[in-house]
Formats: sequence, structure tokens, C-alpha cells
Amino acid sequence: MAAHEDQNASDLELVRRIKRGDEQGFREMVDRYHARVYSLAYGVLRNSEDAEEATQDAFLTLYRKIGTFDDSKKFFSWFYRVALNAAYSRARRRKPITTVSLEDYVPRYRDDGQASPEFAAFVDGAEDEAIARDLAEHAAEFMDELPPPYRDAIWMVDVEEMKPADVADVLEISLAALKSRLHRARLFVRQRLLEVAAAPPAGGGERRVAP
Amino acid sequence: MTHDAITCKRLILEYLVDYEDGAMPEDVRRDLEWHLEHCPPCLVFLKEYRATGRTLRMLKPKDVPKNLAEAVWGFVISRCRKEE
Repeated sequence: MAAHEDQNASDLELVRRIKRGDEQGFREMVDRYHARVYSLAYGVLRNSEDAEEATQDAFLTLYRKIGTFDDSKKFFSWFYRVALNAAYSRARRRKPITTVSLEDYVPRYRDDGQASPEFAAFVDGAEDEAIARDLAEHAAEFMDELPPPYRDAIWMVDVEEMKPADVADVLEISLAALKSRLHRARLFVRQRLLEVAAAPPAGGGERRVAP
Repeated sequence: MTHDAITCKRLILEYLVDYEDGAMPEDVRRDLEWHLEHCPPCLVFLKEYRATGRTLRMLKPKDVPKNLAEAVWGFVISRCRKEE
């Protein structure tokens, strides 16, 4: 049995115990999933306190609604949807964030499909620790500008390092649709990082590092 | 084979995500790698795309708040017991 199926079988055993009212089973579920749910909620809310509360909300929903979960499905997909809903429910209580049109961040090409000479070159800052941290701070802001369906895709695949097929399952979309969202989101973040790398830093000096 | 077997546009917009995911037929992968070898702008783009991924991986919260599991369990159980 693959590790993945093994995990689901073990999840389903806990689900059955929780459905029977076994509080210890619920405790084990909390121990197993709280860090992942927190991290997922953090991706939406970008704030530790809100992410903690969304984590509590998600587990409260799990406990109350576990009876509606269909045991023939993957538990984690269902529960990640519950967790995303809990996070977005909290996010809606905050000031709405203006998202961008991703179309503006798709690279442009000549009519024959080849790269134009002015095709932008951005730097590989990730090799320098300080620059990488600076770029990551900016990337966090850019994530907030993404429309939620794109942010969810890129957060789960690139930040959480989940398998694309699993993320497609959580989001209830095809793998092709997930990859399309993921790619658009990456192109957007890349382009925004390129703009940061090209702009002179506030304190003067060089931000560029060797490619 | 020429540089045009796959255009820069198709490489970046259609194939890159599958290339990075390793989900690509061998013949297309060979064409794509030939293109990358002969097209500096696309190679730079690939490096940027990968650097973007590395940057994003840094966003994962390093620490889960202390005692979060206890707080979650206590919150849920106390709420549900009150409702019973």
C-alpha cells in the first residue's frame, strides 16, 4: 500500500473514532493536522493570531460536521477545504484586498513566438541569504495581491510543497486547471520580483546579485 | 531540429509548468531542452522561474505557535460540551 493510501486509511480510522464520540481520537487528529492547518490558514491570512483562530474554527467545524464526511473520499482533501473556508471566512471580516489582473503579468513575445530582445532578466537572489530574505518579504506581499484561487494553488504547491494532484483534489478542479492557475500565479510573482530586483533599493547601493 | 520546434512563447506559457513537474513526454522534453540550450532568454527565464519557487518556499511559517494543539483541543471540546 502506498504511503499516501496508508495515511488516508489511518485518517479514516480516526474519523470513525471521532464519529463515535471518542475525544481521544479527536485529540490525535488535532496533533496530526494542527500544524498543517495553521500553515494553510497563515497563507490566506498572513497573520499569526488570525491563523490560530482560523485553525480553531477549522477543528470546531471538523468536530461538528464529521458526520457529513463521506468515508469513501480522502479525508485530508475534505479537511483542507474546511480549513480554507475557515480562513477565508476570517479574511472576509477584514478589509477587502484589491487583487490584480494576472493577464498584465504574462510575458510578451514577438508575433513569431520568439523572445523579444528586451526580454527581461531578473536576478537569482535566492543564492544570497540577505537578498533572498528581502525578496521573500516582497513575495509575501505579492501573494496577497493574487486572486484567492491562484493564491491557494501557489501556496499549497510552492510554499507547502504539496503534490499538484493533491492540491487539485482539495480545490476540486482538474490537474490541468490547477497547473494553469499555478503557472499564472508563478508568472505574476516572478514578474513582481523582477520589478523589485530592478528597482534601486531604498537605502542606495546594489540589490543585484550574480545570476 | 531548429530553435523554432518550440517557440519561446510556447515553451514559457504552455510547457514550463509540466517541464518543472516532470510530467512531460520524452520527445517534447528533448525539444524543450534543445531550445533551452540554444536560447539564452528562455534559460534566464527558467532560472527566474526556479528562483521564484525557492523564494516562495521561504514563506512557509517556520514555527507553529506554542501549545496550539492544546489550545485547539480545549477550545473545541469546551464549546461542544457546553452545547450538549
